[in-house]
Amino acid sequence: MMSLISIAGLSVRFATRSECVRAVDTVDLEIARGDHLALIGESGCGKTVLGMAVMGLLPENALIRGTIRYRERDLLQAEDAEMQRIRGKEIAMIMQNTASSLNPVIPVGIQVSEPILLHRILPAKAVQAEAIRLLGAMGFDLPERAACRYPHEFSGGMQERILVAIALACRPDIVIADEPTSGLDAEVKSQILHLIKKQMADRTLLLITHDLGTARFLCTRVAVMYAGEIVEEGPAHDLLSLPLHPYTQGLLASLPSAGLHPIPGMSPSPSHLPDGCRFCSRCPSATARCSTEHPRMSVRGARRVRCFHYA
Amino acid sequence: MSRKMILRVSVAVLCVYFVIAICAPLFTPFGPAEISGKPLQPPGNDHLLGTNDLGQDIFCQLVYGARITLLFGFCSALLSVLISTTVGIVIGYYGGFVDEFVSRCIDILVPIPMFPLLIVLTAFFSPGVLQISLLMGVLGSIHGIRIIRSQVLSLAQTSFVEGARAIGASDFHIMSRHILPNVMPVVMVKFVSQSQHLLVMGVGLSFIGLWDTTTVDWGTMIQNSYSSGGMALGLWWWLLPPGIAVIGISLALAMIGYSFEEKFNPRVGVNRI
Repeated sequence: MMSLISIAGLSVRFATRSECVRAVDTVDLEIARGDHLALIGESGCGKTVLGMAVMGLLPENALIRGTIRYRERDLLQAEDAEMQRIRGKEIAMIMQNTASSLNPVIPVGIQVSEPILLHRILPAKAVQAEAIRLLGAMGFDLPERAACRYPHEFSGGMQERILVAIALACRPDIVIADEPTSGLDAEVKSQILHLIKKQMADRTLLLITHDLGTARFLCTRVAVMYAGEIVEEGPAHDLLSLPLHPYTQGLLASLPSAGLHPIPGMSPSPSHLPDGCRFCSRCPSATARCSTEHPRMSVRGARRVRCFHYA
Repeated sequence: MSRKMILRVSVAVLCVYFVIAICAPLFTPFGPAEISGKPLQPPGNDHLLGTNDLGQDIFCQLVYGARITLLFGFCSALLSVLISTTVGIVIGYYGGFVDEFVSRCIDILVPIPMFPLLIVLTAFFSPGVLQISLLMGVLGSIHGIRIIRSQVLSLAQTSFVEGARAIGASDFHIMSRHILPNVMPVVMVKFVSQSQHLLVMGVGLSFIGLWDTTTVDWGTMIQNSYSSGGMALGLWWWLLPPGIAVIGISLALAMIGYSFEEKFNPRVGVNRI
């Protein structure tokens, strides 16, 4: 299948005065139309930066290399004006911090209708009705009344629904969801996940999360990121039931259901990455070669893994 | 008196001033410069607040004077707030070299006291009322730029601004639709306090006689009575009315300003919105 987004050799570095932070390092990733891909990794592994790179929202001091091809064009080379047309309309994002992602002084109805107005999807008269319809579709009982209220009047779960409504307002092809359920309790979280699953049925989803359960529930494919690079990638079911890379094995073993065995040690600082395998110092099956030579991606059927043991 | 009462009374006082200024011809039997009676008459039936040394009606001068004084104060305050809001938002949002440059210029300008600077500038260029109003608007905006910039600096980092970018909003859209509503409370407080400040300063300038002395406003009235020895002669009806008028509006504006500040700034007072 032709991929909708293909990321090739993407590197993002942040240069500060004293050091160079390699947030994302030569990432290759294909996302096909209708794919639901989860990007899994611990905090600071570069998954949010990758999402921001696709949106073209990285700060000025980011040094970006590589290509992000989307519909015959390279998003990294696109003009600002073109990116503005794409953002929200073709590629939308559900932001990370639920509570602070809504403008506190604007009623939510207006915030939901904003992308529709910005991209001139509908005539101005129909926008209000569409915003109310969207809020209704997100599970609001009285969408007309909800539309007039301010963000602080809603609970965290409801705010998350509003964010989903904003992201879906222009019926985008691709939705990037960055930790959509962080800070929600289990009950609300499962409601939101069902809502997202339902709404994403015919869309492409890039889910950024550290929660394996969420990834398993929403996604068909999983890519595991560690210290800025992808260490393993494959169909969600295969990868999560039979992980190949020692890091993925460690992640699964650290789940409460698997006995809560944390991976020893800390992930390397993105400004001082080791020469060899980045997981080497924490890996139970590391060899002498792992600490000196950087492993390449090896392909095994539908799966890819960055480890010498499978090369 | 409770805070709420003070606010209500102050707003009422302000409204009275505005009605008087706007409907000046309805209240006054004579024009402000019209010589309508004998000089230096004490208050009486013909002349509600007496006459001045030229025989002009003080009450009519007071009412017409409100027009110029209020117009001057509020126009320069409006201009100053417009400048501080626009410049503050733009430099706070974009940052970088321009922000650095403007901020350093402001650092240089802030310690220069405004009133003496205005006296020097007006004495050199002898501008008209309109030009002084513009000049005061520009000079008065300096402090506001700082305040609004600092607010925008933190607003520009918030997730909702990032979110607005993620839906494809332009910088202009983000500044006007997302950041401006969030700094509006500060802008309102600044506008009220600036109108009081600049209005009194305007009266001060015209009292010193630094603008066209033929225009009738409260400052010129006080100046005329003062320079003709009205005070020494005990002609209270010439001096007190404009003085009280200035104090009244200045107090009303100050009280409104305090109430606004208490409402909008959670760190002052207890009445959070």
